[in-house]
Amino acid sequence: MVSILCISCHTKKEAEVEKKPEYLADIGDTKFNAELDDANFIFCDSTKVLHKRAQIAYTGGTPAMEKELINNYKIQPAFESFTGYFFIRFAVNCKNETGRFRWEIVDEDFKEMKCPDALEKEIITKVKSLKKWNHPIYKGESHDGYTFLIVKIENGNIVRS
Amino acid sequence: MKKGLIIALLSCTSYMYSQGNCLIYPEGSNERKACELAHQRENLKQGSRESQIMFDSILKINPNYAWAYMEKSVAYLKRGLITEGLRLLDKAVELEPRYNLTYRAYWHFQNRNYKLCIKDLERFYALPNAFIYEMTPGGDKDMRILLGMSYAKLGNYEKGIETIENCLKSYKREEDFGLTDYHTLGMLYVKNKQYKKALEIFDKQLKITEDYPDSYYYIGLAYKALNKPEKAKVNFQKAKDKFLDGYHIRNGYLCYKVYYLDVTNELEALTD
Repeated sequence: MVSILCISCHTKKEAEVEKKPEYLADIGDTKFNAELDDANFIFCDSTKVLHKRAQIAYTGGTPAMEKELINNYKIQPAFESFTGYFFIRFAVNCKNETGRFRWEIVDEDFKEMKCPDALEKEIITKVKSLKKWNHPIYKGESHDGYTFLIVKIENGNIVRS
Repeated sequence: MKKGLIIALLSCTSYMYSQGNCLIYPEGSNERKACELAHQRENLKQGSRESQIMFDSILKINPNYAWAYMEKSVAYLKRGLITEGLRLLDKAVELEPRYNLTYRAYWHFQNRNYKLCIKDLERFYALPNAFIYEMTPGGDKDMRILLGMSYAKLGNYEKGIETIENCLKSYKREEDFGLTDYHTLGMLYVKNKQYKKALEIFDKQLKITEDYPDSYYYIGLAYKALNKPEKAKVNFQKAKDKFLDGYHIRNGYLCYKVYYLDVTNELEALTD
Protein backbone atom coordinates (compact mmCIF):
# COMPACT_ATOMS: atom_id res chain seq x y z
CA MET A 1 0.00 0.00 0.00
CA VAL A 2 2.80 2.36 0.98
CA SER A 3 4.70 1.63 -2.20
CA ILE A 4 1.59 2.21 -4.32
CA LEU A 5 1.15 5.59 -2.65
CA CYS A 6 4.79 6.45 -3.28
CA ILE A 7 4.52 5.51 -6.93
CA SER A 8 1.41 7.64 -7.17
CA CYS A 9 3.16 10.65 -5.58
CA HIS A 10 6.25 10.17 -7.72
CA THR A 11 4.20 10.01 -10.90
CA LYS A 12 2.36 13.19 -9.97
CA LYS A 13 5.57 15.06 -9.25
CA GLU A 14 7.09 13.99 -12.54
CA ALA A 15 3.95 15.10 -14.33
CA GLU A 16 4.21 18.51 -12.64
CA VAL A 17 7.86 18.90 -13.57
CA GLU A 18 7.22 17.88 -17.17
CA LYS A 19 4.28 20.25 -17.58
CA LYS A 20 5.51 22.91 -19.95
CA PRO A 21 4.11 26.42 -19.77
CA GLU A 22 2.65 27.79 -22.96
CA TYR A 23 4.32 31.10 -23.66
CA LEU A 24 2.95 33.70 -26.03
CA ALA A 25 5.35 35.43 -28.44
CA ASP A 26 6.00 37.86 -25.59
CA ILE A 27 4.97 37.00 -22.04
CA GLY A 28 3.27 40.40 -21.74
CA ASP A 29 0.98 39.84 -24.74
CA THR A 30 -2.73 39.61 -23.96
CA LYS A 31 -4.82 37.43 -26.23
CA PHE A 32 -8.27 38.65 -27.21
CA ASN A 33 -10.98 37.11 -25.04
CA ALA A 34 -14.50 37.72 -26.28
CA GLU A 35 -15.89 37.45 -22.74
CA LEU A 36 -13.59 40.14 -21.38
CA ASP A 37 -12.55 42.37 -24.23
CA ASP A 38 -14.16 45.00 -26.39
CA ALA A 39 -14.10 43.71 -29.97
CA ASN A 40 -13.86 47.30 -31.20
CA PHE A 41 -10.41 47.69 -29.70
CA ILE A 42 -7.89 46.68 -32.32
CA PHE A 43 -4.17 47.15 -32.69
CA CYS A 44 -3.01 49.28 -35.60
CA ASP A 45 -0.21 46.79 -36.22
CA SER A 46 -0.41 43.69 -34.08
CA THR A 47 2.97 42.49 -35.33
CA LYS A 48 4.92 45.16 -33.47
CA VAL A 49 3.18 46.01 -30.22
CA LEU A 50 5.73 47.46 -27.79
CA HIS A 51 6.34 46.28 -24.26
CA LYS A 52 7.95 49.50 -23.10
CA ARG A 53 5.97 51.00 -20.25
CA ALA A 54 8.01 54.20 -20.14
CA GLN A 55 6.91 55.07 -23.70
CA ILE A 56 3.25 55.43 -22.70
CA ALA A 57 2.30 58.57 -20.81
CA TYR A 58 -0.86 60.20 -19.52
CA THR A 59 -1.58 63.78 -20.55
CA GLY A 60 -0.57 65.94 -17.56
CA GLY A 61 1.54 63.11 -16.16
CA THR A 62 0.91 60.79 -13.25
CA PRO A 63 -0.52 63.54 -10.99
CA ALA A 64 -3.22 64.37 -13.55
CA MET A 65 -4.07 60.69 -13.99
CA GLU A 66 -4.23 60.07 -10.24
CA LYS A 67 -6.30 63.20 -9.66
CA GLU A 68 -8.83 62.07 -12.25
CA LEU A 69 -8.93 58.55 -10.85
CA ILE A 70 -9.39 59.72 -7.26
CA ASN A 71 -12.05 62.27 -8.23
CA ASN A 72 -14.06 59.63 -10.06
CA TYR A 73 -13.62 56.91 -7.44
CA LYS A 74 -16.61 56.35 -5.17
CA ILE A 75 -15.59 54.74 -1.90
CA GLN A 76 -18.12 52.57 -0.04
CA PRO A 77 -17.97 51.53 3.64
CA ALA A 78 -17.30 47.92 2.59
CA PHE A 79 -14.08 49.01 0.87
CA GLU A 80 -12.47 50.29 4.07
CA SER A 81 -11.30 46.84 5.13
CA PHE A 82 -9.11 46.58 2.02
CA THR A 83 -5.45 47.50 1.93
CA GLY A 84 -3.43 46.28 -1.02
CA TYR A 85 -2.56 46.88 -4.64
CA PHE A 86 -4.15 46.46 -8.05
CA PHE A 87 -1.65 45.76 -10.85
CA ILE A 88 -3.64 46.56 -13.98
CA ARG A 89 -2.14 45.76 -17.37
CA PHE A 90 -3.62 47.09 -20.59
CA ALA A 91 -2.83 48.12 -24.12
CA VAL A 92 -2.91 51.53 -25.79
CA ASN A 93 -3.24 51.45 -29.56
CA CYS A 94 -1.90 54.03 -31.98
CA LYS A 95 -5.26 55.87 -31.82
CA ASN A 96 -4.83 56.29 -28.04
CA GLU A 97 -7.64 53.84 -27.32
CA THR A 98 -7.29 51.36 -24.47
CA GLY A 99 -8.19 47.69 -24.23
CA ARG A 100 -7.17 44.15 -23.20
CA PHE A 101 -7.36 44.98 -19.49
CA ARG A 102 -6.10 42.28 -17.11
CA TRP A 103 -5.30 42.66 -13.43
CA GLU A 104 -3.89 41.08 -10.31
CA ILE A 105 -4.90 42.02 -6.77
CA VAL A 106 -2.26 41.61 -4.07
CA ASP A 107 -2.00 42.36 -0.38
CA GLU A 108 0.62 44.37 1.52
CA ASP A 109 3.07 41.49 1.16
CA PHE A 110 2.40 41.28 -2.57
CA LYS A 111 0.57 37.99 -2.17
CA GLU A 112 -2.54 37.32 -4.24
CA MET A 113 -5.76 38.14 -2.45
CA LYS A 114 -9.46 38.66 -2.97
CA CYS A 115 -11.16 41.97 -2.45
CA PRO A 116 -14.82 42.92 -2.29
CA ASP A 117 -16.41 42.44 -5.74
CA ALA A 118 -17.82 45.94 -5.65
CA LEU A 119 -14.36 47.41 -5.02
CA GLU A 120 -12.84 45.42 -7.87
CA LYS A 121 -15.60 46.59 -10.20
CA GLU A 122 -15.23 50.21 -9.06
CA ILE A 123 -11.45 50.31 -9.55
CA ILE A 124 -11.46 48.58 -12.91
CA THR A 125 -14.36 50.64 -14.24
CA LYS A 126 -12.67 53.88 -13.23
CA VAL A 127 -9.29 52.85 -14.64
CA LYS A 128 -10.98 51.90 -17.90
CA SER A 129 -12.60 55.34 -18.00
CA LEU A 130 -9.20 57.10 -18.11
CA LYS A 131 -8.99 58.35 -21.67
CA LYS A 132 -5.95 60.61 -21.92
CA TRP A 133 -3.33 57.98 -22.64
CA ASN A 134 -0.75 58.69 -25.30
CA HIS A 135 0.49 55.84 -27.46
CA PRO A 136 4.22 55.17 -27.79
CA ILE A 137 6.32 57.07 -30.28
CA TYR A 138 9.39 54.94 -30.62
CA LYS A 139 12.30 55.73 -32.90
CA GLY A 140 10.13 58.33 -34.59
CA GLU A 141 7.23 55.97 -35.35
CA SER A 142 3.80 55.53 -33.81
CA HIS A 143 3.27 52.18 -32.13
CA ASP A 144 0.70 50.26 -30.17
CA GLY A 145 1.96 49.31 -26.73
CA TYR A 146 1.30 47.61 -23.44
CA THR A 147 1.60 49.31 -20.09
CA PHE A 148 0.44 48.83 -16.54
CA LEU A 149 -0.85 50.87 -13.67
CA ILE A 150 -0.42 50.25 -9.95
CA VAL A 151 -3.35 51.40 -7.84
CA LYS A 152 -2.30 51.39 -4.19
CA ILE A 153 -5.15 51.30 -1.71
CA GLU A 154 -5.06 51.87 2.04
CA ASN A 155 -8.23 51.27 4.02
CA GLY A 156 -10.26 51.65 0.86
CA ASN A 157 -8.64 54.94 -0.20
CA ILE A 158 -6.48 55.33 -3.31
CA VAL A 159 -2.99 56.49 -2.33
CA ARG A 160 -1.19 59.00 -4.54
CA SER A 161 2.34 58.21 -5.76
CA MET B 1 30.15 60.21 -12.20
CA LYS B 2 29.83 56.86 -10.49
CA LYS B 3 32.49 55.31 -12.64
CA GLY B 4 35.26 55.73 -10.11
CA LEU B 5 33.25 54.12 -7.39
CA ILE B 6 32.11 51.28 -9.60
CA ILE B 7 35.57 50.42 -10.89
CA ALA B 8 37.24 50.74 -7.51
CA LEU B 9 34.69 48.77 -5.60
CA LEU B 10 33.71 45.91 -7.84
CA SER B 11 34.89 43.59 -5.13
CA CYS B 12 32.41 45.12 -2.67
CA THR B 13 29.31 45.01 -4.84
CA SER B 14 27.10 42.61 -6.74
CA TYR B 15 26.70 45.25 -9.46
CA MET B 16 28.21 42.95 -12.06
CA TYR B 17 26.08 39.97 -11.04
CA SER B 18 25.77 37.71 -14.07
CA GLN B 19 25.59 34.08 -14.99
CA GLY B 20 29.20 33.95 -13.84
CA ASN B 21 32.33 32.17 -14.85
CA CYS B 22 31.30 28.68 -15.90
CA LEU B 23 34.83 27.35 -15.42
CA ILE B 24 34.46 27.45 -11.65
CA TYR B 25 32.09 24.49 -11.92
CA PRO B 26 33.45 20.94 -12.42
CA GLU B 27 33.62 19.87 -16.05
CA GLY B 28 30.55 17.87 -17.04
CA SER B 29 28.57 19.00 -14.00
CA ASN B 30 24.99 20.25 -14.35
CA GLU B 31 26.10 23.60 -12.92
CA ARG B 32 28.65 23.98 -15.74
CA LYS B 33 26.15 22.89 -18.41
CA ALA B 34 23.45 25.27 -17.16
CA CYS B 35 25.96 28.11 -16.96
CA GLU B 36 27.18 27.52 -20.51
CA LEU B 37 23.61 27.39 -21.79
CA ALA B 38 22.94 30.69 -20.01
CA HIS B 39 25.58 32.36 -22.19
CA GLN B 40 23.64 31.27 -25.29
CA ARG B 41 20.52 33.17 -24.22
CA GLU B 42 22.26 36.53 -24.32
CA ASN B 43 21.01 37.31 -27.83
CA LEU B 44 17.39 36.37 -27.15
CA LYS B 45 14.89 39.18 -26.66
CA GLN B 46 13.91 39.64 -23.03
CA GLY B 47 10.37 38.38 -22.44
CA SER B 48 10.19 36.48 -25.73
CA ARG B 49 8.91 32.92 -25.89
CA GLU B 50 12.37 31.75 -26.94
CA SER B 51 14.01 33.46 -24.00
CA GLN B 52 11.60 32.02 -21.44
CA ILE B 53 11.91 28.52 -22.90
CA MET B 54 15.67 28.86 -22.70
CA PHE B 55 15.43 29.76 -19.00
CA ASP B 56 13.25 26.70 -18.44
CA SER B 57 15.89 24.53 -20.12
CA ILE B 58 18.62 26.09 -17.98
CA LEU B 59 16.64 25.55 -14.79
CA LYS B 60 15.81 21.99 -15.73
CA ILE B 61 19.53 21.25 -15.85
CA ASN B 62 20.28 23.17 -12.65
CA PRO B 63 17.16 23.81 -10.55
CA ASN B 64 19.25 25.69 -7.96
CA TYR B 65 20.60 28.33 -10.33
CA ALA B 66 19.62 31.54 -8.52
CA TRP B 67 20.79 33.82 -11.32
CA ALA B 68 18.47 32.12 -13.83
CA TYR B 69 15.41 32.60 -11.59
CA MET B 70 16.31 36.23 -11.10
CA GLU B 71 16.91 36.84 -14.80
CA LYS B 72 13.70 35.06 -15.78
CA SER B 73 11.74 37.24 -13.35
CA VAL B 74 12.84 40.51 -14.98
CA ALA B 75 10.50 40.41 -17.98
CA TYR B 76 7.50 39.62 -15.76
CA LEU B 77 8.25 42.45 -13.36
CA LYS B 78 8.80 44.92 -16.19
CA ARG B 79 5.37 44.03 -17.58
CA GLY B 80 3.47 44.29 -14.30
CA LEU B 81 3.03 40.53 -13.92
CA ILE B 82 3.69 40.84 -10.24
CA THR B 83 2.87 37.44 -8.78
CA GLU B 84 4.80 35.37 -11.31
CA GLY B 85 7.70 37.84 -11.30
CA LEU B 86 7.98 37.73 -7.52
CA ARG B 87 7.52 33.95 -7.37
CA LEU B 88 10.68 33.63 -9.48
CA LEU B 89 12.59 36.36 -7.71
CA ASP B 90 11.67 34.97 -4.28
CA LYS B 91 13.25 31.70 -5.34
CA ALA B 92 16.44 33.53 -6.34
CA VAL B 93 16.50 35.29 -2.96
CA GLU B 94 15.96 32.01 -1.15
CA LEU B 95 18.94 30.46 -2.97
CA GLU B 96 21.32 33.43 -2.87
CA PRO B 97 20.11 36.28 -0.63
CA ARG B 98 23.38 38.16 -0.85
CA TYR B 99 23.04 38.61 -4.61
CA ASN B 100 19.29 39.03 -4.95
CA LEU B 101 17.85 40.83 -1.93
CA THR B 102 18.72 44.26 -3.25
CA TYR B 103 17.23 43.54 -6.65
CA ARG B 104 13.97 42.49 -5.04
CA ALA B 105 14.11 45.60 -2.84
CA TYR B 106 14.53 47.71 -5.97
CA TRP B 107 11.36 46.24 -7.46
CA HIS B 108 9.45 46.73 -4.21
CA PHE B 109 10.48 50.38 -4.30
CA GLN B 110 9.44 50.68 -7.94
CA ASN B 111 6.10 49.12 -7.10
CA ARG B 112 5.59 51.54 -4.19
CA ASN B 113 5.80 48.93 -1.47
CA TYR B 114 8.22 50.77 0.82
CA LYS B 115 7.60 48.45 3.74
CA LEU B 116 8.86 45.42 1.79
CA CYS B 117 11.74 47.45 0.34
CA ILE B 118 12.90 48.33 3.86
CA LYS B 119 12.47 44.74 5.02
CA ASP B 120 14.71 43.41 2.23
CA LEU B 121 17.36 46.12 2.57
CA GLU B 122 17.58 45.88 6.35
CA ARG B 123 17.99 42.12 5.96
CA PHE B 124 20.65 42.63 3.29
CA TYR B 125 22.75 45.14 5.25
CA ALA B 126 22.58 42.88 8.31
CA LEU B 127 24.23 40.04 6.38
CA PRO B 128 27.77 39.46 7.67
CA ASN B 129 29.10 39.56 4.09
CA ALA B 130 26.84 42.27 2.66
CA PHE B 131 28.35 44.34 -0.13
CA ILE B 132 29.01 47.87 1.11
CA TYR B 133 28.47 49.79 -2.09
CA GLU B 134 25.42 48.10 -3.55
CA MET B 135 23.95 49.93 -6.50
CA THR B 136 20.54 50.06 -8.19
CA PRO B 137 20.32 47.90 -11.35
CA GLY B 138 21.09 50.94 -13.53
CA GLY B 139 24.20 51.58 -11.45
CA ASP B 140 23.36 55.20 -10.74
CA LYS B 141 22.26 55.14 -7.12
CA ASP B 142 23.42 53.51 -3.90
CA MET B 143 20.76 51.20 -2.46
CA ARG B 144 21.15 52.98 0.89
CA ILE B 145 19.60 56.01 -0.79
CA LEU B 146 16.61 53.90 -1.78
CA LEU B 147 16.43 52.73 1.82
CA GLY B 148 16.47 56.32 3.05
CA MET B 149 13.74 57.30 0.59
CA SER B 150 11.64 54.34 1.72
CA TYR B 151 11.84 55.44 5.37
CA ALA B 152 10.80 58.90 4.25
CA LYS B 153 7.88 57.59 2.21
CA LEU B 154 6.61 55.87 5.35
CA GLY B 155 6.81 59.19 7.19
CA ASN B 156 10.11 58.71 9.04
CA TYR B 157 12.07 61.61 7.54
CA GLU B 158 14.70 61.64 10.31
CA LYS B 159 15.66 58.04 9.70
CA GLY B 160 15.62 58.59 5.96
CA ILE B 161 17.94 61.59 6.29
CA GLU B 162 20.27 59.79 8.68
CA THR B 163 20.50 56.80 6.32
CA ILE B 164 21.38 58.96 3.32
CA GLU B 165 23.80 61.16 5.31
CA ASN B 166 25.66 58.04 6.46
CA CYS B 167 25.71 56.70 2.93
CA LEU B 168 27.19 59.90 1.52
CA LYS B 169 29.75 60.07 4.35
CA SER B 170 31.01 56.64 3.29
CA TYR B 171 32.06 57.97 -0.13
CA LYS B 172 35.75 58.64 -0.30
CA ARG B 173 35.92 61.00 -3.26
CA GLU B 174 33.74 63.65 -4.84
CA GLU B 175 33.47 61.63 -8.06
CA ASP B 176 31.82 58.83 -6.11
CA PHE B 177 28.65 60.90 -5.79
CA GLY B 178 25.80 60.11 -8.13
CA LEU B 179 23.88 62.65 -10.16
CA THR B 180 20.94 62.80 -7.75
CA ASP B 181 22.49 61.89 -4.37
CA TYR B 182 22.69 65.43 -2.98
CA HIS B 183 19.36 66.25 -4.58
CA THR B 184 17.67 63.39 -2.74
CA LEU B 185 19.11 64.45 0.59
CA GLY B 186 18.13 68.08 -0.01
CA MET B 187 14.61 67.00 -0.93
CA LEU B 188 14.26 65.12 2.37
CA TYR B 189 15.58 68.14 4.29
CA VAL B 190 12.82 70.20 2.68
CA LYS B 191 10.24 67.54 3.58
CA ASN B 192 11.57 67.60 7.16
CA LYS B 193 11.43 71.42 7.23
CA GLN B 194 15.23 71.78 7.57
CA TYR B 195 15.31 74.50 4.96
CA LYS B 196 18.76 76.01 5.62
CA LYS B 197 20.40 72.60 5.53
CA ALA B 198 18.48 71.92 2.33
CA LEU B 199 19.90 75.04 0.67
CA GLU B 200 23.44 74.09 1.72
CA ILE B 201 23.11 70.64 0.20
CA PHE B 202 21.49 71.95 -2.99
CA ASP B 203 24.56 74.17 -3.44
CA LYS B 204 26.55 70.95 -3.68
CA GLN B 205 23.93 69.41 -5.97
CA LEU B 206 24.22 72.32 -8.41
CA LYS B 207 27.97 71.73 -8.59
CA ILE B 208 27.19 68.17 -9.74
CA THR B 209 24.63 69.33 -12.32
CA GLU B 210 22.60 72.45 -12.98
CA ASP B 211 20.22 70.64 -15.31
CA TYR B 212 17.48 69.25 -13.08
CA PRO B 213 14.28 71.27 -12.73
CA ASP B 214 13.48 69.17 -9.64
CA SER B 215 16.39 70.71 -7.71
CA TYR B 216 15.31 74.29 -8.46
CA TYR B 217 11.77 73.41 -7.44
CA TYR B 218 12.89 72.21 -4.00
CA ILE B 219 15.23 75.19 -3.62
CA GLY B 220 12.21 77.35 -4.39
CA LEU B 221 10.17 75.58 -1.73
CA ALA B 222 12.95 76.13 0.83
CA TYR B 223 13.12 79.87 0.05
CA LYS B 224 9.36 80.11 0.16
CA ALA B 225 9.30 78.51 3.62
CA LEU B 226 12.07 80.89 4.74
CA ASN B 227 9.84 83.77 3.65
CA LYS B 228 12.01 84.81 0.71
CA PRO B 229 9.42 84.88 -2.08
CA GLU B 230 11.62 86.64 -4.64
CA LYS B 231 14.34 84.00 -4.39
CA ALA B 232 11.65 81.32 -4.44
CA LYS B 233 10.18 82.79 -7.60
CA VAL B 234 13.57 82.94 -9.35
CA ASN B 235 14.12 79.25 -8.63
CA PHE B 236 10.62 78.15 -9.63
CA GLN B 237 11.15 80.06 -12.88
CA LYS B 238 14.48 78.25 -13.41
CA ALA B 239 12.67 74.95 -12.81
CA LYS B 240 10.06 75.90 -15.38
CA ASP B 241 12.73 76.90 -17.91
CA LYS B 242 14.56 73.62 -17.41
CA PHE B 243 11.35 71.68 -17.98
CA LEU B 244 10.68 73.69 -21.15
CA ASP B 245 14.23 72.96 -22.33
CA GLY B 246 13.45 69.26 -21.98
CA TYR B 247 15.51 68.49 -18.91
CA HIS B 248 14.31 66.05 -16.28
CA ILE B 249 15.66 63.36 -14.01
CA ARG B 250 15.49 60.30 -16.16
CA ASN B 251 15.36 57.41 -13.74
CA GLY B 252 11.88 56.49 -12.65
CA TYR B 253 12.62 55.67 -9.06
CA LEU B 254 12.93 59.05 -7.50
CA CYS B 255 10.31 59.63 -4.85
CA TYR B 256 8.64 63.02 -4.54
CA LYS B 257 9.09 63.52 -8.24
CA VAL B 258 8.40 67.00 -9.54
CA TYR B 259 6.08 67.69 -12.46
CA TYR B 260 5.76 70.75 -14.63
CA LEU B 261 2.35 71.42 -13.15
CA ASP B 262 3.83 71.58 -9.62
CA VAL B 263 6.16 74.33 -10.75
CA THR B 264 3.58 76.41 -12.60
CA ASN B 265 1.21 76.11 -9.62
CA GLU B 266 3.91 77.55 -7.34
CA LEU B 267 4.63 80.36 -9.77
CA GLU B 268 0.97 81.23 -10.05
CA ALA B 269 0.57 81.21 -6.27
CA LEU B 270 3.48 83.65 -5.90
CA THR B 271 2.13 85.91 -8.62
CA ASP B 272 -1.34 86.15 -7.01
